[in-house]
Amino acid sequence: MLGVLASIIDGVLVGLVYGLAAMGLTLIWGVMDVINLTHGTMIVAGMFGLYGLASAVGAPPYLALPPVLIGGFLAGVLLYWVAVHRMVGRPPLMSLLSTFSINLMLIGLGTSIWGTALFNVEVALPGFSLGRYTFPGAHILAAVLAALIAASLYLFLQRSRLGKAVRAVANNREAAELVGIPTTRVLAITVGCGVAIAGVAGMLIGTLFPFTILSGDSYQLKSFVVTALGGFGNPVGALFAGIALGVLEGAVTPFVPVSWTLVIEFALFVLVLVVFPGGIFAARRGAL
Amino acid sequence: MAETLLSVEGLETGYGEVQVLWGVSLKAGRGELTAIVGANGAGKTTTMRAIAGTITPWRGHITFGDEDVTRLSTHDKAARGFALVPEGRQLFSKMTVAENLELGAFSKRAARQYAQRRDEVFALFPRLAERQRQVAGTLSGGEQQMVAIARGLMSGPSILIIDELSLGLAPVVVYQLFQTLKKLKEGGLSILLVEQNVHLALAVSDYAYVIAEGRLFTEGAPQKLATMPEIRKAYLGL
Repeated sequence: MLGVLASIIDGVLVGLVYGLAAMGLTLIWGVMDVINLTHGTMIVAGMFGLYGLASAVGAPPYLALPPVLIGGFLAGVLLYWVAVHRMVGRPPLMSLLSTFSINLMLIGLGTSIWGTALFNVEVALPGFSLGRYTFPGAHILAAVLAALIAASLYLFLQRSRLGKAVRAVANNREAAELVGIPTTRVLAITVGCGVAIAGVAGMLIGTLFPFTILSGDSYQLKSFVVTALGGFGNPVGALFAGIALGVLEGAVTPFVPVSWTLVIEFALFVLVLVVFPGGIFAARRGAL
Repeated sequence: MAETLLSVEGLETGYGEVQVLWGVSLKAGRGELTAIVGANGAGKTTTMRAIAGTITPWRGHITFGDEDVTRLSTHDKAARGFALVPEGRQLFSKMTVAENLELGAFSKRAARQYAQRRDEVFALFPRLAERQRQVAGTLSGGEQQMVAIARGLMSGPSILIIDELSLGLAPVVVYQLFQTLKKLKEGGLSILLVEQNVHLALAVSDYAYVIAEGRLFTEGAPQKLATMPEIRKAYLGL
């Protein structure tokens, strides 16, 4: 019994990081109806940012957070101008194709540099023991950092002038222009934030699990599941849905082979889409 | 007529291949209430959109003060003192009344005077003070129009441009809103009003333009227009 409880607690910890990753996807989705298919690769970029700074340079792993955050933001702004700007307001297929192509280029580039070998970043942190079970320190710290970043994003959107402008653009772009908001700049900043969050989430995941240049796909799909659960374009919903997904993973892992977790997750994804096409928390408070 | 604040000359524009305006010219005087009236589909809203910059003029010029603003973006025009209260209100429907007002004062200049302007706006529309925390999309139509006007006023505009003030509202609400417009004008605000309700528009305006089929049909003092047989027949139902 305690074993299941421990799995569930660990699921909450990892789920917070999944939730954070999905917030990056759902933020862009909610503000401009663009599905960023480079999302998984940006998560991987965060992982390799961590690897580069921690393993290659020898810096403490968590010092990678600020550079990954800033680098992710700049990459996101660049992504906006290259692949998103002229697709906003067009049929969704256009931005799907443009971000998909960029994604293939990035993966090709990454594969030629790093190959597809498995990378691992050692994090030496004392764990927290509960009876026979020990929660790894990396899981706890990753969860705390994910929660802090998610809370900062929430406060940014709810309280700051720029954050309110982001919500205004999401709500009604023409009205936002009318009150004097430079909406194009706001969209670029939003993609910057979304990618920065994906990168940081990737960096945190990199402290938990080994990764390859191709790991992005499965995390991107997890983000889709979380986004569907949490309501499309609802960052707060995404965080809670991330926790739900983590708990589900934690709860089934003791009973089924690991390879089944993805099957269960995507069965859930399909189920949610069929039953709640707009996502479970779609219209709740906290939606963009 | 007062000194010209906003001047539109030979404006032509439309949507895609379809030309809607065929050379509209008009002027709005400083401190005056200028009305544009006309039937549905005459091009009134298109004129407003071109003035505010949400669609691009094909030909013609728009001058504001001494500056040619024809090709400025909407948010640049807002920064220069344009406030458009659009047709259908276009509120930030998922945000609260207070947030809508705050966004109305988005420019740095307006943000500094936020508290003072908010108090002025609440004095004008006491109902909004009670509804501050309410999500704008849940308000009644009349209250939403109040928010739209209040949001426009929060920027401290040089000219308030209102598109279809009375659309879809109950007569008693429309009457109150027109009283508010009069008050604002007496306070020195320049207003450009597009209105389907020709009776009301002529009753409050200092000068009026009649648009028909994308062209200027006639213009003049409202008292004069109200006596013209073709206006009486076409728009006043007399």
